[in-house]
Amino acid sequence: MSEHPNDYIKPELMACCGARHIRDNDVVIVGTGFPTMAANIAKHTHAPNATMMQESGVFDARPARPALSVGDPCLNPGAAMVGGLIEVMGMFLQGGWVDCGFLSGAQVDKFGNINTTVIGDYNKPKSRLPGSGGANPIGALAKRVLIIALHDKRSLAERVDFITTPGYLDGPGAREKWGLPPDTGPEVIVTNKAVMHFDKDTKEAYLTSWHPDTNIDEVVSLTPWKLKVSDDAHETEPPTAEELRVLREVLDPFRMIKIYEKRGYI
Amino acid sequence: MSKVMTIKDAVEKNINNGDFLFIGGYVCRPPFSAVHEIIRQHKTDLTIARSNAADDFDMLIGAGCVKRFISTFISLGLYGLARCYRRSIEKGIPNKIELEEYTNLSLPMMFMAGAMGMPFVPVKDMVGTDMMKIRSFMGENKYRMIDSPFDGKPVMLVPALNPDVAIIHVQQADENGNAQMWGIGGDCKWGANAAKKVIVTCERIISRETIGKDPSRTIVPAFKVAAVCEEPFGAHPGYTPGFYDVDFSFGYVYQQATNTVEGFQSFLDEWVFGVKDRNEYIQHYINRFGFAQYKKLQARFDYGYPVSYSY
Repeated sequence: MSEHPNDYIKPELMACCGARHIRDNDVVIVGTGFPTMAANIAKHTHAPNATMMQESGVFDARPARPALSVGDPCLNPGAAMVGGLIEVMGMFLQGGWVDCGFLSGAQVDKFGNINTTVIGDYNKPKSRLPGSGGANPIGALAKRVLIIALHDKRSLAERVDFITTPGYLDGPGAREKWGLPPDTGPEVIVTNKAVMHFDKDTKEAYLTSWHPDTNIDEVVSLTPWKLKVSDDAHETEPPTAEELRVLREVLDPFRMIKIYEKRGYI
Repeated sequence: MSKVMTIKDAVEKNINNGDFLFIGGYVCRPPFSAVHEIIRQHKTDLTIARSNAADDFDMLIGAGCVKRFISTFISLGLYGLARCYRRSIEKGIPNKIELEEYTNLSLPMMFMAGAMGMPFVPVKDMVGTDMMKIRSFMGENKYRMIDSPFDGKPVMLVPALNPDVAIIHVQQADENGNAQMWGIGGDCKWGANAAKKVIVTCERIISRETIGKDPSRTIVPAFKVAAVCEEPFGAHPGYTPGFYDVDFSFGYVYQQATNTVEGFQSFLDEWVFGVKDRNEYIQHYINRFGFAQYKKLQARFDYGYPVSYSY
């Protein structure tokens, strides 16, 4: 087996890209799907001391199967602590103890603002979405936020229809103006085509790597804002054999991750 | 004094049209038997609230019981967007509900403030986003921005909420209303304690002596409770830790039914109006899906190591 097997699917690559942004000892707040897989890949490879919590009130769960929701019954037995929203969202997140959060949404814009509320006008919606849930507080208060998105002109936007969850709002200084905690905000957008980081000065997302089956031109043409390209932009490192082994053998033996292909992550 | 009664009596005596209800059950322990009874009794103009609402809220909205919804999020989980809710917001079917939107941080904090008798509570979320631009029936009282009197920095204040009635489903309660819950809590404890009175539905009624075996599990004390209803399987198709698992296949049945108004109506006819109480509901479930499926959902008891409170 080579160090980078060729038979991975795109969602597996995306989960690995997410995992690489988790550091050892991070406290990570996760939802289901990508976030849990990414956090667990990290935990089984370079970040063994990372711990996960679910906003529903669970800390350091050891579920016997992949959780299907943030309140899945399988999260109860074996967890280190079970409380509720006040404990996880109030004490831990608002208290400033969460290092890393994962978010996704129907729309993500160049400042990392996320829309999960409405497509179209709020009062005359084209499509009404579920709302914030825990996304707004995670985007506001986690030290680093990793965003997962589809790379097309519907899902990415120059400006989202509705800012449910704050990225850098309207640019440099905006989070500070509103009193959000210092040194917080989105760190990276991982899409099915590329990885984008946020410019320290302009707070705009720019291209740092493109996935193996695409190229800079395609990524730029699929991005609805004038996408800047990092000087050291490169091809995304494919999943390693070890990352894939952990994902397929330990975390997701039934390969539930394939459902993301049906959702367009190809 | 025993407060044990049927869910029919509990809803009849304690819930009025136009009331503000907290309905517990963040993913687990949704009080479905009470929700069905509210629909059976055609309660209307309700204001309802919980963090992460799901199929129980969708059903109340579809059945036309709801006027206002203090929301953070509503979906059918694995099955995606909540259909009745969308029809209400997008098309006004059966009526366009009014929405006030918060988050899974701020709403629980508002219940916490309500439970503690505080008029408001500062929160660090929502600021700077479009969630601040939308105000509905709460108007200016949705939130206020002030400069903190301590450090001068901007801070958002959100109001305390005190529902007229909280309805929660728990594992066990005694006949006076001391209610015990374990597992994932969501905002249940705070929503219940913020309310003027509480309807407790439970898997089993136990003695006061059993409550005292592990008093750290009690989330609502008896004096706040107006009614105790023994409703086994009362959270189905949601789950109750230690009793039964989520019924994913039933979730799919609900989602498929709610794709159309007609489908939703026949779902209500079958599962709500077609049965008079939870016992008939369970019987109907077993008739429809088989005893094996019912049994498959039930938890295996695992007593573990008991905590000792002895000296």
